[in-house]
Amino acid sequence: MLGPYSQKLTADDHRELLNQLYLARYFDVRLIKEKKRGRLRGTLYSSHNQEAILVGSLYGLKPNDWISPIHRDMPAFFLKDFRNGWRNPGRMGMTIQEVCAQVWGKQGSPGRARDNWSHIGSKAKHIIHSTSMLAGTIPAAAGVVYADRLDGGDAVVLTYNGEGSTAQGVFHEAVNFAAVHRLPVVTIIENNQWAYGTPTDMEYSLEDFARRADGYGIPGLIADGQNVFDVYEKVMEAVDFARSGKGPSIVECKTFRAYGHGDHDDDRAAKYRPTDEVAQGRSRDPIAVMKRLMVAAGTMTADQSKEHPAEGKGAAEVTDADFPPVVVEYLTEGVEFAVNDTVPPGEEGGMWVFRE
Amino acid sequence: MAATAEAPQSTKKNYLTALKEALYEEMAANSDMVCIGEDIGILGGAFGVTDGLQEKYGRERVIDAPISEAAIVGVACGMCVNGKTTMVEMQFIDFISCGFDQIVNFTATYHYRTAGEVAIPMVIRGPAGGYGGGALYHSQMNEAWFANSPGLKIVCPSTPRDAKGLLKSALRDPNPILFYEMKELYRQRAIEEEVPEGDAALVPLGKAAVRQEGEDVTIVTYGTNVYMCLEAAKTLEAEGFRAEVIDIRSLVPLDEETILESLKKTNRLVVVNEAPRTCGFAGEILARLAQEAFEYLDAPPVRVTRLDTPVPWVKPLETFVLPSVDKITEAALRVCRY
Ligand SMILES: Cc1ncc(C[n+]2csc(CCOP(=O)(O)OP(=O)(O)O)c2C)c(N)n1
Ligand SMILES: [Mg+2]
Repeated sequence: MLGPYSQKLTADDHRELLNQLYLARYFDVRLIKEKKRGRLRGTLYSSHNQEAILVGSLYGLKPNDWISPIHRDMPAFFLKDFRNGWRNPGRMGMTIQEVCAQVWGKQGSPGRARDNWSHIGSKAKHIIHSTSMLAGTIPAAAGVVYADRLDGGDAVVLTYNGEGSTAQGVFHEAVNFAAVHRLPVVTIIENNQWAYGTPTDMEYSLEDFARRADGYGIPGLIADGQNVFDVYEKVMEAVDFARSGKGPSIVECKTFRAYGHGDHDDDRAAKYRPTDEVAQGRSRDPIAVMKRLMVAAGTMTADQSKEHPAEGKGAAEVTDADFPPVVVEYLTEGVEFAVNDTVPPGEEGGMWVFRE
Repeated sequence: MAATAEAPQSTKKNYLTALKEALYEEMAANSDMVCIGEDIGILGGAFGVTDGLQEKYGRERVIDAPISEAAIVGVACGMCVNGKTTMVEMQFIDFISCGFDQIVNFTATYHYRTAGEVAIPMVIRGPAGGYGGGALYHSQMNEAWFANSPGLKIVCPSTPRDAKGLLKSALRDPNPILFYEMKELYRQRAIEEEVPEGDAALVPLGKAAVRQEGEDVTIVTYGTNVYMCLEAAKTLEAEGFRAEVIDIRSLVPLDEETILESLKKTNRLVVVNEAPRTCGFAGEILARLAQEAFEYLDAPPVRVTRLDTPVPWVKPLETFVLPSVDKITEAALRVCRY
């Protein structure tokens, strides 16, 4: 039942993947709790129920590969190259301290808190700096790997986009450019069925978004966005295709936005979305799906799968005890760092307009 | 220049050849430089500025892009993030609006929002300006859009030497730069001149050039209008007024110093450009000088600009809306006689 890539994953990989799912989920609910406690300001964009897309897509990347995350992908900044050691400062991903400092708007942010939330990046860690402009980083992703190829490299770039963002003209321009130049650009569509308050049937007129790829003459794959193995499988297929010089792909990961567009929208989302649709959309929590897959694969016992029952719970219901301690400890280090860090001095607002 | 004046074969170059030389020299000097644009490779560019460049440097470094201005700018920006210097050609500067978001929100802000981590050495260049009957979408000067977007430098040469020297400097600058080429000057015989080779050709960004010295009125301008101002200065001279004509050459950064020094001498100011009036760069120059040099002014400063209209096609209409020698002369005389 598992594909060729997922079959090669070991029991250790399974446990690591599960822990990463827990961590992404814990990041989400912990920030909501911090905000409720008044320790944090700013809008939060939840990846709750969509974590398997981030974890599964990042797991098989090489350290030198690039990523281009957006607002719903905050955990991607630290999950990149996570296999090289969660606390290894040399790995090609951000530290949890850096990411938390960014969320809190402190000096330790990689962008020194000049823009908010996910609008950070790192040239050193091969993470493209995002902006608010939806689909706006796909051209740069193509450019980054174009330059890499000129230098003889074999890096691949993963760009993440909501399905709503694909209606932007720049999405078409960039994917077409990448297709024409056979660039190693894997465009991941996190199809969570909603773009803020607009459902997919008002965004595009296809059954499966992945078919849009036909128009560019590139592969369009569909992954079960609740199943970390399936995401890993399809993304690795696209990544190997890209790395071998065959060009870009679109990987549509089908999922569901569990809560509001941002935490400011939770109450309204509960009204503008049909209750049964929401219940259905939340019914396949990626952590629960992963546990079932592990039990079936024999890498977890049925008893073990009952430990740390975070799955199926919202931020209001879940507690730290529902998560593995390694996950709670790791994130707490980031949170404490950020809370104690200082904000940058005001005069930095006038700096760095130009490189002198 | 005098040395070659009697040589049998003139070594004088036109504006377009000067630009081309800059690209060839910088491509040779910088193996990390990449050019990208519509029809710049196989065709050699709509006007031929990149003629032969792809043959010499290959399809990887001289990229024929699909008609996608946003992707062209964004892809170039991504290359800069990953260590390249890029030259982006807009087939006509009017089409730059299709890449606007990628320029002002993505590229221009990169250094700022990364707190200095990433500089973007990119030059976006293309044919601009009116007077050629190019009509609404092949005549614009839209530099004000970008002057209002922090993080971009803006350059506009009026002579072959400056075309080459400023383009070379721009391609060595670590910031994104909008480079406005005056397409009416591309092949003008009258302005051909000797153009130095290599580093001797470099012209620094942010330095104005005094095209003619005078004591009675300062005329500040750039681009094609420089020649109209020089022409107007002849009539002024016949009327007894000697005009100082300053070609700012670069708008951002602006050489306020040179304008201010001139104004201290002439006490009168006229600013000329071919962009529409409201919120145009001429207004910016007036505002800055009104603030800096109020005590030196003996007359209200005046600007001569395009009317607040698009640029129409047929000659009488185009002439009606754009600055002309007559309009400049008339405005300058008014200021001189105030
Ligand atoms: C160019 C642009 N237009 C509008 C917005 C406002 N906006 C931010 S997120 C969003 C919805 C995005 O939906 P989707 O792409 O499906 O991603 P999701 O939030 O569902 O993950 C909108 C309209 C924006 N950020 N950028
Ligand atoms: Mg969506």
